[in-house]
Amino acid sequence: MSVYITSTGHHLPGEPVDNARIEEVLGRVHGKPSRLKRRILKSNGIRQRHYAIDAEHRTTIGNDAMAARAGEDCLAQGYLAKLRIEMLSVATSQGDLVLPGFGSMVQAELGLSDVELNTSHGICSSSMMALKAAYTGVKAGEHGNALVIASELASRLFKASRYEAAGAEVDFDAEFLRWMLSDGAGALLLEKRPRELCFRIDWIRGISHADAFPVCMSVGRPAAGEGHASWQDYPTYAEAEAAGALLIRQDVRLLDHLVKLGVDGLLRLIDEGRVAVDKVDHLLCHYSSHYFRGKIFDMLTQAGAAIPEQKWYTNLYSRGNTGCASLFIMLDEFRRTQRYAEGDTLLCFVPESGRFNNVYMHLTVVKESS
Amino acid sequence: MNSKVTTPAGQECLQGLMRTWFEFERQLGRVPVIQRLERGRFTLEDHRRLLLHLRQQVVEGARWITRGASSFDRRYTDVRSMVIDHAREEHRDYEMLEADYVAAGGERQALIEGERNAGSEALHAFMMYRASQPNPVDLIGAMWIIEGLGQKMAGDWARRVEAATGDDGCTRFMRYHGENDDAHLDKLYALLDRVCRDAADCRAILRTARVVARLYVLQLEEVDHD
Repeated sequence: MSVYITSTGHHLPGEPVDNARIEEVLGRVHGKPSRLKRRILKSNGIRQRHYAIDAEHRTTIGNDAMAARAGEDCLAQGYLAKLRIEMLSVATSQGDLVLPGFGSMVQAELGLSDVELNTSHGICSSSMMALKAAYTGVKAGEHGNALVIASELASRLFKASRYEAAGAEVDFDAEFLRWMLSDGAGALLLEKRPRELCFRIDWIRGISHADAFPVCMSVGRPAAGEGHASWQDYPTYAEAEAAGALLIRQDVRLLDHLVKLGVDGLLRLIDEGRVAVDKVDHLLCHYSSHYFRGKIFDMLTQAGAAIPEQKWYTNLYSRGNTGCASLFIMLDEFRRTQRYAEGDTLLCFVPESGRFNNVYMHLTVVKESS
Repeated sequence: MNSKVTTPAGQECLQGLMRTWFEFERQLGRVPVIQRLERGRFTLEDHRRLLLHLRQQVVEGARWITRGASSFDRRYTDVRSMVIDHAREEHRDYEMLEADYVAAGGERQALIEGERNAGSEALHAFMMYRASQPNPVDLIGAMWIIEGLGQKMAGDWARRVEAATGDDGCTRFMRYHGENDDAHLDKLYALLDRVCRDAADCRAILRTARVVARLYVLQLEEVDHD
């Protein structure tokens, strides 16, 4: 049985924020402008993004509500009544609440009745894990359809006050993601039948390497020498925050591994006969930064497995890096704005630096027979 | 950037070599001494022990390269020349390693008296055996792993060792291998086009790369077994 992505949707909160205005929203740590900002923005190439907080650091829309808006947008463009949704599969890096699962909150916000629920937990790849759970659920005949939503509200972590609470100077690893991540949600509708021009899911394949590499991106992990393994080990949460254990961190020195593992996975898929690079018509790759696009491209070229640059599609530069929501937001905009034809193939790729989980997906454009 | 390898057989082989390398890096990430290095738990004593164990294999390195050179017959004189050049460049690099060991507080006598660990023993024996075969084109697979490791040592390990031990006087050996990397790798790519002509060549090269990678990991695992 084939499974099709028959509709997509997104929600990007508020007006786009350009590079000059980022610090107006996120705030200046200890009142001082960042010295890293320009360098990191130049490297990632992002020109504008959206935030679900305002300059007074009030949350303008919750993560659950953003997810629900993306879901509504997706359903509004599809043919399926909300009442008929059988499964809801949801991903985020951090919900509004620690518990219960994010999926429960999104279901309530959407007003979906009697669905089977799945929440996947992780960082960028969590959306693909949620999608895979839904895809296999429908493919196995457990459900006739599934709504998959990925939503991120990272900006709450980037308020200047968070860094101030953690002490005097902000180190590079803690500041890096402040200029990378932003907010948004994307949604996909899966059905057993095609609708007009839509995407058939040929396969989804994840390859995780957590056993071989250290943690690369984290929240809740105290710095080495703190004597605690987790933010929850501190006597009070205030002490964990003061020690910087609640800052979102990226060990940038490990990021080169992500490029190598991404290329390794693609070579593996080529070897298995799942991917033929000359038959890929569109590549949708969730690279977090323009810098990595070049690195991936160079390494694929070196291997003689390059996908020509004109086949690469992204909206990173105008919509921002929205973590797990990125690929869905990208596919949604691709569907609505790009030219593609029946039989075209799409290779989607989401590398996650958290502890190195890479997920690939292959789609074929199909047309509903009239 | 252009593809450095141009023949179809060479390109297929390069893809396989890249995958072998990535797998090797993951295996390295599971070795205790390398985990300590990557997680900031590495001590000067670890560094001395690492150098002591590496030295017993590095000191033999020139032997398999020169043995390999002599195994190429007249049809491969160009390859033989390249291998001889490579041997000449590197055949005394262990002296640098020894100086690093002493700079890190080790006794030279311990190095000289040191024995190959189980992994070094297996690696050395395998390399000498392969190098003794007629026209051992598969040695390029071994060079791929060892050159790649040189690059990794220079770019990543040396920095981590220095950060962990607060000492930059004992990483010259590790750093040295980074200096001529691009030139070495270019030679390797050219060699791949030259010697990998069919599926059998490709299989042999990948197999040797895989065995060398596995035995190298064994050598590093043994660092904590003495």
